[in-house]
Amino acid sequence: MTDRKLKSQSQEDGAEGPDGGWGWVLVVALFVSTSLVFGLMRGLGIFFVEFVQYFEESAQAISWISSIGLAAQQFFSPLGAALCNAYNTRLVVMTGGFLSGLGLILASQATCLVHLYFTMGIISGLGWGLVFTPMVATVMANFTRRRALAVGLGFSSIGLSSFAFNPLFQLLVETYAWRGALLILGGLSLNIMACGALIQPECHSKASTKVDSQSRSSRPDLLQRVSSYLEVSLLCERPYLTYALGVTLLNFGYFVPYFHLVAHSRQVGFSEYRAAFIMSAAGVTDIFGRIASGWFSDLGHFRVVHLLTLWTVLAGVFIMLLSVSSWTGSYAVMIVISLLYGFCSGALTSMVFAVVPMIMGVERMMGGLGLLQLIESCAGLLGTPLSGWLRDMTGNYTASFVVAGSFVLLGSLTMTTLPHYFSCAEPPPPQRPVFVDNSETLNLELGQKDGCPSEFNHQTVGQRESTH
Amino acid sequence: MYTTETVGPTPTPLAPVSTLPTNTKSVHLTGDNKIENVELLNPVNLSLECIWSGNQNKQPNITGYWRKGGVDIQDSRVPVDPENQQYKLKRVFNIVSEEHLGNYTCVFENEAELDFILAVPRIGEKREKPIVSYVGDFVVLTCKMEDNKPVPRTWNWFKNNGTDKASEDLQIIFDEQLFEAQRYDITIDGRNTKLMVKDVSISDSGVYHCAAVYNISTSTSKMQLKVITIWEPLKPFLGILIEVVILVTAILIYERNHSKKKKAEAVRPVHEELNQKPEDAVVQPHHRAVLHALVETQALCAPQQVLPGVIGVRFH
Repeated sequence: MTDRKLKSQSQEDGAEGPDGGWGWVLVVALFVSTSLVFGLMRGLGIFFVEFVQYFEESAQAISWISSIGLAAQQFFSPLGAALCNAYNTRLVVMTGGFLSGLGLILASQATCLVHLYFTMGIISGLGWGLVFTPMVATVMANFTRRRALAVGLGFSSIGLSSFAFNPLFQLLVETYAWRGALLILGGLSLNIMACGALIQPECHSKASTKVDSQSRSSRPDLLQRVSSYLEVSLLCERPYLTYALGVTLLNFGYFVPYFHLVAHSRQVGFSEYRAAFIMSAAGVTDIFGRIASGWFSDLGHFRVVHLLTLWTVLAGVFIMLLSVSSWTGSYAVMIVISLLYGFCSGALTSMVFAVVPMIMGVERMMGGLGLLQLIESCAGLLGTPLSGWLRDMTGNYTASFVVAGSFVLLGSLTMTTLPHYFSCAEPPPPQRPVFVDNSETLNLELGQKDGCPSEFNHQTVGQRESTH
Repeated sequence: MYTTETVGPTPTPLAPVSTLPTNTKSVHLTGDNKIENVELLNPVNLSLECIWSGNQNKQPNITGYWRKGGVDIQDSRVPVDPENQQYKLKRVFNIVSEEHLGNYTCVFENEAELDFILAVPRIGEKREKPIVSYVGDFVVLTCKMEDNKPVPRTWNWFKNNGTDKASEDLQIIFDEQLFEAQRYDITIDGRNTKLMVKDVSISDSGVYHCAAVYNISTSTSKMQLKVITIWEPLKPFLGILIEVVILVTAILIYERNHSKKKKAEAVRPVHEELNQKPEDAVVQPHHRAVLHALVETQALCAPQQVLPGVIGVRFH
């Protein structure tokens, strides 16, 4: 009887528990916070026109605002991950929510463009960085069998919120002008704090085990602690580097259709309305792709890495076909390819995150995700200007799309070089050599009695072998 | 040199007819076209011609005449004989000032007719929704003539006196006696014009007109400015703020109650097991690890809830 009570205690303490329960509440929190981060970022285009008119600046100067915001979000991701490892995830996410709201509220009082760069760009970007990676990592840590589905459901909010936010933002700007609209958006962003409050404090405290292990082995140097929080050691591991390279190549090509598809359709000769509809079609199937691929991968018929390769190859092919199919001039063909592309693009997004714990283990996921965001940010920043430059050189978008598609294919090829790629069964994730103290041994024993899914058993077996 | 112009009829001296340029508009009546738009900027001798191909009746002569604004033009009735199976009706109009603009109709009596609408170029973009600005802020109102339309000679801005009055109450903004020149800034750049109103107040709300001035007349467009205070958006913002505070507090309270219950449940059996054998207060290694875990948990999650009883037990 005691064992059962203690087991329930450890289930609450241990984040690598079974699926469901509070995990689904966290999925809702991820849904809301992702829509308030990325959905909001995508909707900022509506303020673009207002800013150009008010500040009398060029379009390029204004578009730097969202560039700085996105770059800040990705740049500060490792910081958010490190802070979660050092302190409390809940506190970090709530702080991030507060900062993102604060940035927008301050932006509503801006009197020059630099104010906007600083408030909407850096402060809000910092806030978003502190929110996104911790939320994703927390949700993934709370699921094992249904991980991809949970993440897919959470990310489906991006597409849905784009639909909802565009008319909403338009209404806000028409009623309150951009200042009032930004103020209200800041208020909406503060809801991320409520999402953060839903995260339960990690009671099996990663921080203590890290610090303990460090203090028993050597003097806890500040640099050592910081590097362990940031999981810098991951950068020395080949699987992680391979994966990071693959994701970087993927990001070179991934964003190109989102930026250039409408312009490409218009150039082919379709009207404004039809071109926008092609983009919307991709957006709709994107939502379904995220959820469906998450559900399908959790069924377990295929390995997550294989599914990821499948979706990236298909996405790359469809990106290339998007430009080639425009030669036929047929609207129906472009719509079909766009629908298929949207589905694959959404599908691969879920997989990209679900593969991460397979490569580095659930413990190091937080820091690993943070570093991954930072690395892929460079590709995201460079990819679109590159395709724009290609378009300027060749006069149409065919070259840009073909190059983008080939980058995506190259990324998927890189991922085939991951270790144990061609084996049919899931290999055990690599272990961080940890000096395990007795409390953890107890958790492991209980974990095995639970009958947890095989992955967790792999971990427990590995850790027990390392300690005994 | 800047000259003030008003919208009403001006007693400008008529230019001699012979020095005016001539322009011709010739249209075939097909049955589908009913209206022909003619853009005019300058005074001109406009020659309008209607050509009709006839119908099955093939009448020998038809009466043709002109109408302006729905009213028959005197002495415009002429008999029209077909040449090469085409009926032609032509008349030269002296278009000099605004009252000469309007709707001219050529009529083949009881058979066909066509409208010529003579007007200055229209300002294309019309902003339907009001422009919103805040008290103390500045606002920029713009007007633009499309690129395919001719450049106006200059632009004028007008403001309605009062809220919903008619156009007669328009006052030109650049008149320094009526308006404070420091608060208004007009820039004119060919096809574009901007009116910047600085330090707006509630009384600046209303309808503004921009007028593109051509030699023959002016073309106007209007927009509405609405000035609000910061309280307008602050109301929904405070509503959202309150909602966030309530949500966060509710979640934290719920979790505190929930975890209190769970911890109470978890610790009780350990207490019971320990209390069962008071004489043998040696803690089993199994229990030791459990207690270690529990204490650590307590210390990290809720430092103020350290279980007093557990600490007191003697460890072996």
